[in-house]
Amino acid sequence: MKTALTLIVAITSQALGNVYLTKAMKAITSTGSGTNDFVSTAMHTASNPMVWLGTALLLVFFLLYSAALSWADLSFVLPATAFGYVLNVAAGHYFLNEAVSPARWAGSVVITMGVILVSRSSARTIKAEGELFK
Amino acid sequence: MITALMIAIVVLGGSGGDVFITKGMKQIGEISTVHPRRLAGIAIRVITNKHFLTGIFFMACSFFAFLAVLSWADLSFVLPATSLSFVITTLGAKFILKEKISRVRLAGTLLVCLGVALISLP
Repeated sequence: MKTALTLIVAITSQALGNVYLTKAMKAITSTGSGTNDFVSTAMHTASNPMVWLGTALLLVFFLLYSAALSWADLSFVLPATAFGYVLNVAAGHYFLNEAVSPARWAGSVVITMGVILVSRSSARTIKAEGELFK
Repeated sequence: MITALMIAIVVLGGSGGDVFITKGMKQIGEISTVHPRRLAGIAIRVITNKHFLTGIFFMACSFFAFLAVLSWADLSFVLPATSLSFVITTLGAKFILKEKISRVRLAGTLLVCLGVALISLP
């Protein structure tokens, strides 16, 4: 339960983070005349709040992913977080109006089946060596 | 040839990074608290853990190799190739971390690998 909750919040943050970063970067490169200028693009990027929000959400993903690895198997967490690819495809389609090819939808279905199978196995087959932080 | 070598660095760096990060986190112990002060203490242990830092170094190598290979190869070729990392990481988890990979988990991981390859095609 703890593992499922942690990973669901993690992959939702990751998908949202990617959406914000994409939105911000597309907005930065579509405005202004100096888009070929590396320095001005970098300045625009660093001063865009959506870039920071997206980056913060990706950091939340990495923190929760590492936390899950403190108690759960890597061979469980890694394929389980692959469901994030499906969320990314869905978010790209619904929030960013990206065209999604049939092969991508098929891939999403195959990943979902794989994640369902993985989630039916026990999340931990080895014990953490360190202490239990309660 | 150089493309294959770079993709190998991308895949092995990512998988090696995950294995080291897991080793470090398991060494530190199970995090079962949301208390800010406790979490701050754990964070200090994490960023000073040698295995964790080695994992971050491997991941950085993987990321820079990824950027480098994208400067001459197509993303639609590189990205499906990196889906191999799911299988390589699972092998690392089995043989280095001694995790037990059941048949159902293996089958699920292979499906995920196939699905990620499909998603990354153009």
